[in-house]
Amino acid sequence: MNRKLMIWMVVPVLVTFLTGCPKKKPATPPADIPVETEVVDTPPPATTQEVVQTPPPVTEDEVEDPMLSADLQVVNDELRRRGFSPDVFFEYDEISLSDETRERLARNAELLKAQPTFQVTIEGHADERGTNEYNLALGDRRANAVRDYLGSLGVDGGRLRIITYGEERPVCTESAESCWSQNRRAHMIITGRASVG
Amino acid sequence: MRSKALALTASAVLFVAGLSLPRIFAQEPPPATPPEQDPQVTLVLPNRGQRPLIKLAIPPFRGTQTLSGAAAGAAREMEQTVRRDLENSGYFEIIGPDRIGAVTWSGDMQRDVEPFRALGAETLLLGDLRAEGDRIVFEGRLFDIASAQPILAKRYRGSATVSRRIAHTFADEVIRYLVGKPGISLSSIAFTSDRSGHKEIWVMDYDGQNQRRITGHRSTSMSPAWSPSGDALAYTSFFNGPPSIYVADMATNRKQPVVTSGSMNTTPTFSPDGGRVAFARSEGGNVEIFSTDRSGKGLRRLTHSNAIDTNPSWSPRGSEIAFTSGRAGNPHIYLMDSEGANQRRLTFDGDYNDGASWSPEGDLIAYTSRRGGRFQIAVTNVVTLATRVLTSGAGENESPAFSPDARKIAFVSRRSGRKQIYVMDITGGNVQQVTQEGNNDMPDWSRIPVEP
Repeated sequence: MNRKLMIWMVVPVLVTFLTGCPKKKPATPPADIPVETEVVDTPPPATTQEVVQTPPPVTEDEVEDPMLSADLQVVNDELRRRGFSPDVFFEYDEISLSDETRERLARNAELLKAQPTFQVTIEGHADERGTNEYNLALGDRRANAVRDYLGSLGVDGGRLRIITYGEERPVCTESAESCWSQNRRAHMIITGRASVG
Repeated sequence: MRSKALALTASAVLFVAGLSLPRIFAQEPPPATPPEQDPQVTLVLPNRGQRPLIKLAIPPFRGTQTLSGAAAGAAREMEQTVRRDLENSGYFEIIGPDRIGAVTWSGDMQRDVEPFRALGAETLLLGDLRAEGDRIVFEGRLFDIASAQPILAKRYRGSATVSRRIAHTFADEVIRYLVGKPGISLSSIAFTSDRSGHKEIWVMDYDGQNQRRITGHRSTSMSPAWSPSGDALAYTSFFNGPPSIYVADMATNRKQPVVTSGSMNTTPTFSPDGGRVAFARSEGGNVEIFSTDRSGKGLRRLTHSNAIDTNPSWSPRGSEIAFTSGRAGNPHIYLMDSEGANQRRLTFDGDYNDGASWSPEGDLIAYTSRRGGRFQIAVTNVVTLATRVLTSGAGENESPAFSPDARKIAFVSRRSGRKQIYVMDITGGNVQQVTQEGNNDMPDWSRIPVEP
């Protein structure tokens, strides 16, 4: 308190000592103050360039058998009609597969082994609770858990592609367990067909 | 001759003020919002040059009435920006036009400072504006009121479009001169926003002004992380399939892939020398921390646990990395050396901790911490492990990011409905909302001023 006051009393003394007594009182703007000049230039406009690469579209001829359709939506619908489960669900913050999930995946595995050219994408999802970053990792682990199980049932791992969406692509957006339980899922979808080998 | 004497005076003032700082100004202000539950060990927040406020008088800038059109608007903006920057800095008690009233200038400074001295002001800030062709010339001066002597004078010249930048530059000069510390008026905050219909990377000035979109992937892009020099932003995007790491060059707006192989590459953080990026990467369902150089070469695996390891934050000196791991059952913050050795647990309170942000001073880590079912912002001292919760109540407070002067934290809250970005002091007080439109998330505060 007193010390602070002292500073402001010392300052003018120092000022006087170091600069000498000013002959005239400084007017505003004072003529005797060295003014540093800085030119601030307008920045050049940023160019807008994106490095977006789009994968080539899948083009194939349409055929009679829906399983052979070039339209993957038709293929996915037909698979579902035959008992393929596009979704399996998880408990909160869990990656373990329930008995019901294992049964569904077993049916999926049979259908996939019968169609060896199908490329499958397994999406991992989480509910909105928790952080976006951790949920991305959780989704990746869920998708991998499904891939590993399908692999153990004889589905070639090379046909199974993983992608995590974490909590970024919810199917249900209300903040309630009825919704969260639908979002904690691995979603399986046919996204391509390999040339027969 | 005179200028040399003045420079000497200036350093003498700073010297005296600097010397007296630690002894006089030890008082710590209490947090404005007390934590919801008492952490086991209470963190005593570090003194970041905390001191009684400097009483700074800022009368209306002169010459604004001589300007017209764009220049007049820019002049008003400049005046507001200088005043707000100095207020936001937390170092000053601003004595503004509302307390000053009408001012008449005689040209005799001894007489002219008298009304400000009567108001208790210690320092007077004078702003003068004039037009010079299509440019604005701004002169800012500081006067020591006790002596009626000028102590700082700066002139800036620029078009109306850079008026804010001029104001921020001068405000930081004032802070550097009167406080002896770098200001943050020219710093920027990167964040995500869905206001365009997709989650994209955006950047704004530290005060929420000048919000502009950086990516246009029309996909999901997230987790922006500034390079130390501010020349680039690393981020995660889904635009080409699985989440991958890209770097956006701030000067050219060109986006370059860093790591795109595998099923998941997320949550990048730059090393303080800017040479490497640490991030989370999935290897067959095992999410681990890796580092790589900026072009994606020299990939190194740093963690080897069976649980999730993610969301790294590089320490300001570069020797350590904080990250999140689920290895203890729940997500907690851990530390390791930057090459992966010496892994140890930092957090023990809360049942879900993620999103570490390392203070630029290196002493504290802020993170998202779930306490009693609610997400809050907590800080932990990396040496003593003492912890303090800075937010309270509902609203899901998440995703903290330290300011470059380590005195403020940006974070995300749903307290007003949608996710918005707020800035608070490290005491938890002085909370200000800086975004309004759409959902805004994942702030990252630049380390040094960013060139536009």
